[in-house]
Amino acid sequence: MSLDSSRSANSSGGQKSKRSFNNSTSSNPSNYSNGNNNKKAKPSQKTLGAASWGANSLSPSRSSFRNAPFSDFGSYMMEKNRKLHDQFDAEASTSSHSGSDSGKPIFHGISIFVDGFTIPSSQDLRGYMLKHGGRFENYFSRRRVTHIICSNLPDSKLKNLRSFSGGLPVVKPLWILDSVVANKLLSWVPYQLDQLANNQPRLSAFFAPKSSSVSKDVKPEGSSFKGGTSTEAYFSDLGESSEHSRQISRETDNLVNRNSNASLVTEPTSSCGRPFEVTMEKPNNIDADDERSVRNELQTSPYQPSALATSNFVENHDMTGSPSSTVSGLSNHRHSTIEDPNFVENYFKNSRLHFIGTWRNRYHKRFSSLSNGFNSRSSNIKASAQKTAIVHVDMDCFFVSVVIRDRPELKDKPVAVCHSDNPKGTAEISSANYPARDYGIRAGMFVRDAKARCPHLIIFPYNFVAYEEVADQFYNILHKHCNKVQAVSCDEAFLDFTGSVEDPQILASRIRKEVIETTRCTASAGIAGNMLMARLATRTAKPDGQFFIPPERVDDHLSQLPIKALPGIGHVLEEKLKKQNVWTCGQLSMISKESLQKDFGMKTGEMLWDYSRGVDDRSVGVIQVSKSICAEVNWGVRFKDVKDFFQSQNFLSNLCKEVSLRLQGCGVQGRTFTLKIKKRRKDAEEPIKYMGCGDCENLSHSTTVPVATDDVEVLQRISKQLFGYFHLDVKEIRGIGLQVSRLESEGSLKQGLERNSLKSWLTSAAASTEEACNNSCTALVRSDTDCEGQGNEILGKICASSVGPSIEMDNNISNGEAFLNQVSEPPPLCHLDKEVLESLPPEIFSELNDIYSGKLIDLITKSKGKSENISSSSSNSHVQVEGAMKTGHMVLHSDPFLQHEIPVENRHIAMEDQAVLVSGAESNNVVLPASGIQKIDLMPLSLSQVDATVLQQLPVEVKADILQLLPAHRRQDLSSNALSGPSKETPLELLGTKTAEDHSVSKGCVSENNLWAGTPLQWVVKFKVSNCLILNVLAEMYYELGSTGTLSAILQRAISLPKHQLDANRDSWDEATYNLCDLLKQYIKRKIEFDIEEIYICFCLLRRFAMKSEVFLQVYTNVFPYLQASVGENYGGNLHMSLKN
Amino acid sequence: MDRRENQSSEGETARILVEFLEVAINSIVFLKGVYPSGAFERRRYMNMVVQRARHPQLRDYIHSTVSTLLPFIQKGLVERVAVIFFNTDCIPVERFVFKLIVNQSYGSKLEEADLEFSLRAFLIKLSVSESLTKALPRDCRWEIIAYFRSLPQASMSKDSELWTPTDTRQWQQPPILIPIKSMSSEPLCLQLYLEHPSSSEPKP
Repeated sequence: MSLDSSRSANSSGGQKSKRSFNNSTSSNPSNYSNGNNNKKAKPSQKTLGAASWGANSLSPSRSSFRNAPFSDFGSYMMEKNRKLHDQFDAEASTSSHSGSDSGKPIFHGISIFVDGFTIPSSQDLRGYMLKHGGRFENYFSRRRVTHIICSNLPDSKLKNLRSFSGGLPVVKPLWILDSVVANKLLSWVPYQLDQLANNQPRLSAFFAPKSSSVSKDVKPEGSSFKGGTSTEAYFSDLGESSEHSRQISRETDNLVNRNSNASLVTEPTSSCGRPFEVTMEKPNNIDADDERSVRNELQTSPYQPSALATSNFVENHDMTGSPSSTVSGLSNHRHSTIEDPNFVENYFKNSRLHFIGTWRNRYHKRFSSLSNGFNSRSSNIKASAQKTAIVHVDMDCFFVSVVIRDRPELKDKPVAVCHSDNPKGTAEISSANYPARDYGIRAGMFVRDAKARCPHLIIFPYNFVAYEEVADQFYNILHKHCNKVQAVSCDEAFLDFTGSVEDPQILASRIRKEVIETTRCTASAGIAGNMLMARLATRTAKPDGQFFIPPERVDDHLSQLPIKALPGIGHVLEEKLKKQNVWTCGQLSMISKESLQKDFGMKTGEMLWDYSRGVDDRSVGVIQVSKSICAEVNWGVRFKDVKDFFQSQNFLSNLCKEVSLRLQGCGVQGRTFTLKIKKRRKDAEEPIKYMGCGDCENLSHSTTVPVATDDVEVLQRISKQLFGYFHLDVKEIRGIGLQVSRLESEGSLKQGLERNSLKSWLTSAAASTEEACNNSCTALVRSDTDCEGQGNEILGKICASSVGPSIEMDNNISNGEAFLNQVSEPPPLCHLDKEVLESLPPEIFSELNDIYSGKLIDLITKSKGKSENISSSSSNSHVQVEGAMKTGHMVLHSDPFLQHEIPVENRHIAMEDQAVLVSGAESNNVVLPASGIQKIDLMPLSLSQVDATVLQQLPVEVKADILQLLPAHRRQDLSSNALSGPSKETPLELLGTKTAEDHSVSKGCVSENNLWAGTPLQWVVKFKVSNCLILNVLAEMYYELGSTGTLSAILQRAISLPKHQLDANRDSWDEATYNLCDLLKQYIKRKIEFDIEEIYICFCLLRRFAMKSEVFLQVYTNVFPYLQASVGENYGGNLHMSLKN
Repeated sequence: MDRRENQSSEGETARILVEFLEVAINSIVFLKGVYPSGAFERRRYMNMVVQRARHPQLRDYIHSTVSTLLPFIQKGLVERVAVIFFNTDCIPVERFVFKLIVNQSYGSKLEEADLEFSLRAFLIKLSVSESLTKALPRDCRWEIIAYFRSLPQASMSKDSELWTPTDTRQWQQPPILIPIKSMSSEPLCLQLYLEHPSSSEPKP
C-alpha cells in the first residue's frame, strides 16, 4: 500500500543512519514502537543483532498478521524478507551515490549474516556491506548467505555446527573491518572463528613456511643454514613472484604463528624455526637434489630466473596461497592435504614411523662392514656350544628422552612426544616418559585424553635429527664393546657376549654408563641366556637399570609373567588364550605342544610352547632380509572429487617415487606390486583424529611382472594400472600404499636389459657428433656409473646406465641445464678418472670444479701438475657452455627412455632438434634389424607408439626393414601413416622398445592375474588364440552361450562333443592341461565362498569328461586336491565326490 | 537419510530371509519324515506348494527359533543356520546347513521379486533332494543351531536370551558336503548344503 513512501522514508533514514549512526542508536531507542512500516523501515537504527530483533518483533508482527492478507507465517516472512531486500538495495544505491570515498565494491558477491553480539555491531557491519557492495541478510538463509559473522558461538551451536551454519564459513567480524581497511577482500580463512579453526598444524605449515618463516627465523642466527639462506637469495631473484609470496607469507604467518605457538609453546622462541630448518638441511631426498641443483644454478647463472626454480615456487604458492582463493566458501580442511603436490614427500619427512622404518636402512649402510664381520664368526662360536650370554639393551622412552636430554629440569616432569599440541587434542601421543606414564598416559592416546589425566603434561614435537644422532652414538658404543650386535630398532639391540671373558653384567653396566655419558639418555639392559629371556629381563630392568636372569631362575621368572609380555603375543592371541583361561606363562606351559599347535597353527603353537618355557634358539646377528618394501600414507589423504583425477595420479606418482627410492636405498628390485587402498566405510564418519583414516575397508590389488624392477616409471605405470582396477570414487580414499615384494637383489638384470638396447647406440652416435657434449656427458656419467660399481668401457653403454639415476631424480626436468645439474650429483673424488678430467674442455672442467668446491684443481695439480687449462678456465665464454648444454639437451631428447620424463611443452623442442634425431636415426641402420630379429615382440604394438616424423626421416631401406618386422596387420596403417606426413601429432616414441616391451609385459601379467576378469573374459581371449583344439572349443562355447555363461553351462554344453575334440594331442597336451588347471583353480577361488553348487556341478561334469578324455583326467586329478582344500578351508568339510557311476 | 534407506532394505532382506528359513526348515523336517506326514499341511508360499507343520508346538518351535534370529541376521552376526538330525546317542547323522552372507552395505533398493525368484529355486531343489539324504535311524531327534560370527551380547535384546550356547557333539573327521543349492546375488548370498559324516568317521 505505501511501499513507495516507506521506501523513501527508509532510504533517507538509511542515509542518515550511516552518517550519524551512533547518535541515532543512542538517542532513538524508542523507534521500535512506531508503526509496522516504520519499524521495518528502520532496522538500521538499532544496535540489537538482527536475530534478536527478529524475535522481538514477533508481537507487533502479530498485529500485522491480522490486518495484512498473509495466509501464514511463512508467506509473511517471505514478504518481509523481500521488503528488507528492497530496502537494502535502495540504501545501497543511494549510499554508493552519495558516499564519495566509497571505492570499488570490495564485498561484491559476499552476503553476510550476523549471529549474536558482535563488535562492531551488526548494524555497523551492515553499513560496511552497504557501502562496499556486499549484502546483509537479516534472516539466515542457506541460499543467500555466503558468510556467517559472529564473535562467539554458544556451545550448542558449536556442537552442531553443520546444522547451524549449513556448511558456510563462520568468520569473525574483524574480517570485514580488515578488508575495508585493506580496501580489498581478504581471505576469510585466517579470520575463521577461533572456536572452529583447527589449530592443529596443517601439512602446509610443515613446509610452506620453509620459504617464509624459516628464512626469517634463521636470519638473526647467522648464515649457517644453507637452505634458508639460499632460498632467501632465491626470493630476491624471483622479482616478480616475491611480491606475491610476501603477501602470502603474511597469511601463512598467521597460520604458522598460531600453529607454532600451539605446538612449540614450551620451547624458547628462538628455536622456533628448528623443525623447518631441519627439513631443509637433510639432504636425503629428492627435495635435496632439487635444492642442490637450484643452488648450482644460482651459482652459474645468478640473474637468470630458472624455470625449475619458479615452477617449484609456484607449487609452494599454490599450496600456501590456497586460502586466499577459497573465498568461494570451501571449508579449509581440504587444503592441508592432497592439494599439495609434494604431499607424499613431506608426509614421509614428518612421519615418525617412516623414520623408524627407514632407520634400518641407514644403519645397514653405516655399520654394514661391522655386522658383516661377525656373521661368519658367529657360526663358529655357535658350534662350540659355550654358555651363551645375551644382553638386550634398550633406551628408555627414546623419543622423549632424546628430546629433553638438554633440559634436565624436565627430567622428572611428565613429558610426551607428539606431532602437535593443539587445544583440540586430537593428535596421538607417540611416546611418553616415565613420570607421564605414572599418570596413565600411554602411546597412542589422544593428547586430549592425556591432558585430562595430567593437565601439566608437556608436549614436544619430534626432533628427527637428534634421534638420528643419538641412535648413531648408541650403536657406536654397542659396536665398540661387542662384535655381535643385532639391531632391533633405532633404540634397541641385542648383543652376544658368548665366549667373552668378562662378566656380561659388568659389560652391560659399562655400556649403559657410556650411553648415558655420551647421549645423556638412559638405557636399560637385560642379561640372560637367550634373546627371549634377555628381552624379558629388560622389562624388569626398566627404567634405567639392568637385570640378570640366570638359567636356573628362568622358570621362576616366567611362571607369573602375564602372557602379554611374551613377544609375538598380541591382542588377538591374548584374547584367545584368555578364553582358554590362560593368563600367565606358567599356565601356558601346562598346555601340551600338540594342542597349542592344533589351536594356533604349527608355527605359533610351537612358538608359544617354546616361549612359555623360556626356550629361544634364535641367534644374535641374524638379520632378517626384508621380504617386501612398502610405503603407505594413511593420514591426510583426501581427494576432492572425480575431477581431481590428476591429483590422485600425482599422489600415486609421488608414492611410487618414494617406494622406488626405498628400493634403491636397499639395493633391491621387486617383481610383485601390491596397491593397497583404504576406503572409507560407507557409514563411517569423519575420524576423531584430525585427517586420520578412520574406519576403513582395506582393499588391495596386486600384479607380478616377469622382470624385477625399481624403476620409477615402471612403478608408476603399474600402480596406475592397479589403481584403475579398483574403480573407486577417489573421495572415499583414505589411504594408499604401494608394496613391492618378491625382491631380488639388484645387479645382473640391470645390465642385460639396458645394454643391448638401441638407445645405447643412439646415444653413442649422438655423442660422436658433438665433441663437447660427448666429453661432458662422459665425465658426468662416467663418474656416476663408477659409483654404482658397474664396469664400463663403451661410451654408449655408459650413457645408457645414466638413465637410471636421471629417472630417479624428478619429474621436474624442465630444461637441459637442470638435468645436467641433477645428474651431477658428485661422486667421491677418488672415483673420478683423471684422464677424462684432463681432456675436458676448460669450461666444463671449471663447472665440475665448482661442484667439487675447488678440490678438482688440487687433484689434477697433484697428479700431473698441469694447471694451464684450469687457469684459463676461469674466464669462461658462456656461449660455449651453453652450447654444450644444449647438445646435452638434444641427447636427452633423442633418448627414448627420457621422453616419458619430459613434460609436453618440451616435446616440440625435440622436434626442432631434428638434426640430432636424424643422426640418431641413421645409426639405427645397423642396430634395428639386429635387435628386432631378436625380439620381434618388442616392436611397437600400435601405431600410436610410432612417430611418423622420425620414420619419414629414415632411409628407405631402414623404413622397409622396420615395416617388415611389424606383424602384417600393423604394417598397413603404419606405412600409410608414415606417408601421410608429420601433420599428425604423434608422440615421439618411435624407438620405444621399452614401452612396447612394458606393454606386452603388462598384458601378460593381466592375463596371468585374473582369467575371470574383463569382457570378454581373459581366458576366452587366451583360449581362442590358442592352437589347442579343446581350448578353442571351450572359448567358442562361451560365445555361443551369449558370453554370459557360467563354467558349468559351458561344460554342460561341451559334454555332447565328440570324443576326439575333447582330447589333445601330445603337442598341445601341456598347454591344455596347464591352462585348464589354471582356469579351474581361479574359478574355484572366485566362486568357493558364494557358490559351492556351481563348483560342484562343474566337477561332476569334469568327472564325466575325465572318463572320456585323458587331458581332462589329468586336469581333474590335478585340481581335485585344490578343490577339496578350498572347500575344507571355507566349509570345514570335503565335497562329496564319490564315483557312483 | 541415506542410511535409513539402507537399513530398511537390509531389514527387508533379513525379513524375507527369516521367512524363507522358516518355510525351508518346515520342508526339511517334512522331507526327512521325522513326523508322520499327517502332521503337515499343504500351504502356498511364493506361489509354491510347501508343507507346514500342523502341530502348534512344532510350528511354534520353528517359528520362534527363526524369528528370534532376525535381529542377529540384521546385524550380520549369523554365519550359518543348521538343522541337525541326531541318533539316540546324540551323534549327528545329517546336517542341513544354510550358509548366509548378507551384504550389510548394499545400497540400492532391494528387488524383492528377484530375491523370491532365487529363493524359490531352493525350495524346489529341496523338495527333490530326498535321494541325497540319508535314511534316519529310529528315535532320532533334531534341532536348529545357529553359528554366530561372534557371541551376541546378553543385553542385546530379550529375544537373544532364548538362544543358549550349545555344545553339540561334533564329528571327529571333516564331513562330506553335498551342495544342494547356492545363490549369490546382492545383497544376499545363501547356500544350502548337506553334511554327512565322513566314511572314516569312527562308528559308535
